[in-house]
Amino acid sequence: MTHSMDLISKERDRLLQRSARVYGLGFTAVSAVCFALPGAVPIPVLLIGSPLYVILAAALVAVGLSRAIWWPIIALVAGLGVVATVALLAAPPTVAASLAVLNLAAAGIPSIALVLTTTLPRLLLLGVGALASVATIVAAEIAEPPQALRAGGTALVGWGLAALVAVWINAGVPQVAKRIASIGRAHRAERQASELEAQRRQGARLLHDTVLATLTLLAHSGVGVKPDALRQQAADDARLLRQLRLGQAPATPTETGSVPVITTDETVLGTTLESVKQRFGRMGLTVSWHGTGQVLLPSEVLDAFLLALAECLENVRRHSGVTEAHVTITDDDKMVRALVTDAGVGFDISDIDEAKLGFAESVVGRLREVGGNARLFSAPGSGTTVALEVPRG
Amino acid sequence: MSKSDTIQFSQPEENTLGVVVGNARRAVQSTARRLGRAASAHRASLGTAFLGLGAVIVVGLRAVYGLIWFVGQWEVYPEPFAALAAWIVLAAVLVGAIVMSRVTGDRLPDWMFGLFLAGLAIAFALDVIAIWELRDIGGHATAAVTAGMALLVLVALRGSVEILAATAIVALALLVVMFLDAPLGAFGDATWIATQVTAIAGAVLPPLIGVVIVEGFRRMVQVELDRVLVQSTVSAPRFAVGMLASEELARLDLAAEELLDAVATKKTNLPLTPKNASVAAQLATELRLHLIEGRRETWLYHAVSESEQLGKSVTLSDKSSLAGLLDPTQRDGLLSAAWLLVADVPSAANPRRRGATRTVNLQIGPVVPGGDVPDHKIAVPITITTTGVPRNRVDSGVWDAIGRIGRYSDSTQDGSLRVDIDCIVDNPADQ
Repeated sequence: MTHSMDLISKERDRLLQRSARVYGLGFTAVSAVCFALPGAVPIPVLLIGSPLYVILAAALVAVGLSRAIWWPIIALVAGLGVVATVALLAAPPTVAASLAVLNLAAAGIPSIALVLTTTLPRLLLLGVGALASVATIVAAEIAEPPQALRAGGTALVGWGLAALVAVWINAGVPQVAKRIASIGRAHRAERQASELEAQRRQGARLLHDTVLATLTLLAHSGVGVKPDALRQQAADDARLLRQLRLGQAPATPTETGSVPVITTDETVLGTTLESVKQRFGRMGLTVSWHGTGQVLLPSEVLDAFLLALAECLENVRRHSGVTEAHVTITDDDKMVRALVTDAGVGFDISDIDEAKLGFAESVVGRLREVGGNARLFSAPGSGTTVALEVPRG
Repeated sequence: MSKSDTIQFSQPEENTLGVVVGNARRAVQSTARRLGRAASAHRASLGTAFLGLGAVIVVGLRAVYGLIWFVGQWEVYPEPFAALAAWIVLAAVLVGAIVMSRVTGDRLPDWMFGLFLAGLAIAFALDVIAIWELRDIGGHATAAVTAGMALLVLVALRGSVEILAATAIVALALLVVMFLDAPLGAFGDATWIATQVTAIAGAVLPPLIGVVIVEGFRRMVQVELDRVLVQSTVSAPRFAVGMLASEELARLDLAAEELLDAVATKKTNLPLTPKNASVAAQLATELRLHLIEGRRETWLYHAVSESEQLGKSVTLSDKSSLAGLLDPTQRDGLLSAAWLLVADVPSAANPRRRGATRTVNLQIGPVVPGGDVPDHKIAVPITITTTGVPRNRVDSGVWDAIGRIGRYSDSTQDGSLRVDIDCIVDNPADQ
């Protein structure tokens, strides 16, 4: 992607700018200390040089913040100005002045080379800067040729070194961008896998419903349920969760010990009704089935239907005060219906906030999602009947 | 009840509904970090090994320069063989460090680092002994100064703090020996002072600059990694569960499995203790929230919450989840624009100045019916409002990126950039 290359190039430029700033300011400070030592340069030179140092430092700070080409140019001019001042007004320089201009020409000024390797005009500026630095420092030291040679050579090496650092960092960026891009591709695959995984887990609603029912029982410390039955139920649910975790298809709980792997989109109602019956049996509610059990339903409709049914039976178990419930299944061309009846205490419907019962959300809501519906009939002392219906698909 | 009877599972640290509550921010960030951990094995070595090689070359050049200087001064030295020994030790230490770093990989083990520092100290001491009589440490030290610069070799192999500490010690040692070895009247002598200052700078500044470069490079790699990892949301479906929620669901399922298993295998007694019962209740609640309510967020929500960089400064208002309708090009544009607007923060380089951070708010929708829109399309207005982003300091890449989202107009609001974009997307009703 050329586009992502753009972004990392910007990051790289910022890195180079900030490095140039530290590099330049560090050596400029050292140079300024040498320059300002008593007796290093005559007073007039000090007066001309000091503001130039300030301008150089300010320009280097700006190089760290902005990519504009003007800042390295200003830094170059101000830095060379100091060296030229020494060459014109203080030659031959004292040792301290020599070191001051050397620190500038070989490190303080060449620091701008870090931001001068990316385009042709910048490279030209780099070349001009290097040659001018060498020429100026040689001019300053010309009274003593071996020293002039050494200083010029050091300045040239300084520019070369700074340019090498810049080129090196520039070369490192595409390598690293390539590897980051491959990590990105791996991550995209991981994201897709994670998305599928989440869908798979969320899709296993029937399984989660029985897990949630068991957890709710445990949340009440398992009071009112035989420990053995609860352990059996927990063992079944733990096994189903393990299968889900190990990547098998969301399994429908059936009789203990056998879990059929569903391969088609449609499932026979009877198989799963039996598991609901068993589950409530273990918790002390006897469920009697009436009517047809051999109805094929699309899996999401079946899920919603069974969830609603289980919710109704859970209400019977908790609130009715009886230990038996009847479920009658009927079907026609279009709809499958279930009547859940108990002979328990019943209640006055107008007394009960439906939402409080969890009825509206968990039963009606789920059924409506698949085009079904639910109705509730009850009166105090005469039991409760819930009518559920879902389309056949 | 025995201790092992208590059911153990990690408490959910985040409400896993779309709503971010309480300390969920931290949770989101820690998860994002966890996600990044897969890449973190590479992260340490990404590119810095290459930089390290560059540092080796620089130090090598410096060593050759110092050696030539030393040979040239042979006659002058009171104890040339001590200096020679210093160079031999230094060369051995450098070669050893370079070879071992190639063998051991990205990081020099502690004991080797100790050995390296001890070697440098010996070379330093020998060189100082060799030139002590000359009363001008700065003017004649060769191996001692190179020993300071040699720390540059380790800049990619050890933590920055360690390198800085070692550099400070070298600086201090140089100062001390210079002070002790100073001739009479040296402190008023510009020549002597300038020479010593230059020598210290030559030993200390290169590792300092090296640390700045390597730290900057590591940061660049991290920012780029963060961006690339988040970039994968661009191809996500309209609604996604997100990697965080997916992990959460898997974690809850596992916790439930362990709890049920503990009950089934009689590790936990029935009836449950109140503590274990409340654990079960909490688990059931979390799981129910996940499954019934679901977590349907757009790619943009996931991008912002998973990214360290965006999470810090970008807020999102997208009540109707319209971001999901954007096609991959538009998404890439929006993400890049947000990225460029917040990534260009000077304070990013300097965490201490974080107070002045830029912020970006992305307001998506609501859809206004009518207008000049092609068939089977709808216009989703997107408004980018910012703080701390002056109009004239906006990266030019931002305009390219915004141009990929749709037609836009920009203005200034409270001294900061504001962009209104007409984003044309496929009408979801037609799909």
